[in-house]
Amino acid sequence: MVDTYRIAGAVVRVESLHADVHTLCRRYRFEGEPDFTVLTSQADIDFERERSEAAETAEAAAERGERASSDGYLETLAVYRKIAEAMPARDAVLVHGSCVAVDGSAYLFCAPSGTGKSTHARRWRELLGERAMMVNDDKPLVRVTDGGAIAYGTPWDGKHRLSSDVAVPLRAVCLLTRGDGNHIGRLAAAEAYPALLRHVYRPLDPAALALTLALVDRMVARVDLWRLHCTKGIEAAEVSFSAMSGGEFL
Amino acid sequence: MKLKEEFIAHDAGTESLLVPTGAAGWAGVVRGNKTFGAILELLQEETTEEAVIAAMRERFDAPEGAIESDVARALDELRKIGALVE
Repeated sequence: MVDTYRIAGAVVRVESLHADVHTLCRRYRFEGEPDFTVLTSQADIDFERERSEAAETAEAAAERGERASSDGYLETLAVYRKIAEAMPARDAVLVHGSCVAVDGSAYLFCAPSGTGKSTHARRWRELLGERAMMVNDDKPLVRVTDGGAIAYGTPWDGKHRLSSDVAVPLRAVCLLTRGDGNHIGRLAAAEAYPALLRHVYRPLDPAALALTLALVDRMVARVDLWRLHCTKGIEAAEVSFSAMSGGEFL
Repeated sequence: MKLKEEFIAHDAGTESLLVPTGAAGWAGVVRGNKTFGAILELLQEETTEEAVIAAMRERFDAPEGAIESDVARALDELRKIGALVE
């Protein structure tokens, strides 16, 4: 099965064994000459199965259900892995995080799985209503240029399927930790770098990793960096939005 | 011995990092000072512990035994995470 998509400004031809990836990417269909082609094989699917099984407990796997271990689903992961491997050469990296855009600027929340990135992004939507738009709730791509960083929506957008096919200037990255109260402070680039690196896709290819590390260097120099200790309540969004945007939410 | 190609050394300004690719069997980040960064640089090429110590002595002025101890500690750390080809 073959189709072409535009993802983070790159035109990607996808040749797959199963239909799932094309269903997932349908909003990103594009007619044009591909910049590169992604081909998947059963070996790629088996690789994703091994990775998934190694990364999660049996309980978590059972909770995610049968679909999560189907070849079609695993192939969607294999395709994104191949795209993520190719992106550093195009000045973009995959970041595991939830990205919200407000008034033309994107804000990216990063934290280990289960901390509450999506919950916090949802609080922003509750607080700001139609001013807030989800760029991507799970795995946005971020392109870093001399002019700044740009966050892109992608079809790989988490279990709630929240994303938009948009490109929005990335204003800030916020590392989130769960706490008893809500407080936020700025992070220096040197402090943020190793912490942010934990949420950036690490390519399998050493050359792509070296490019990734240089892109993250440029990213931390071009965006505002914050650390937020927060509860799950709406007050957390009030604190983070006021500080990060400098704006009013009323 | 030499640093495996799946491990990339990176100068992050105030500290030196060693970051494995997604293919390496270890997913963390090693953070160290500039001395650690210099050791990583020397390990880009095939070398020995003695040659690393000699090169570090030329580069840094340190009390007797300090460089030997820093190099031994760094190599020990790198061996633990499987970052060296020996």
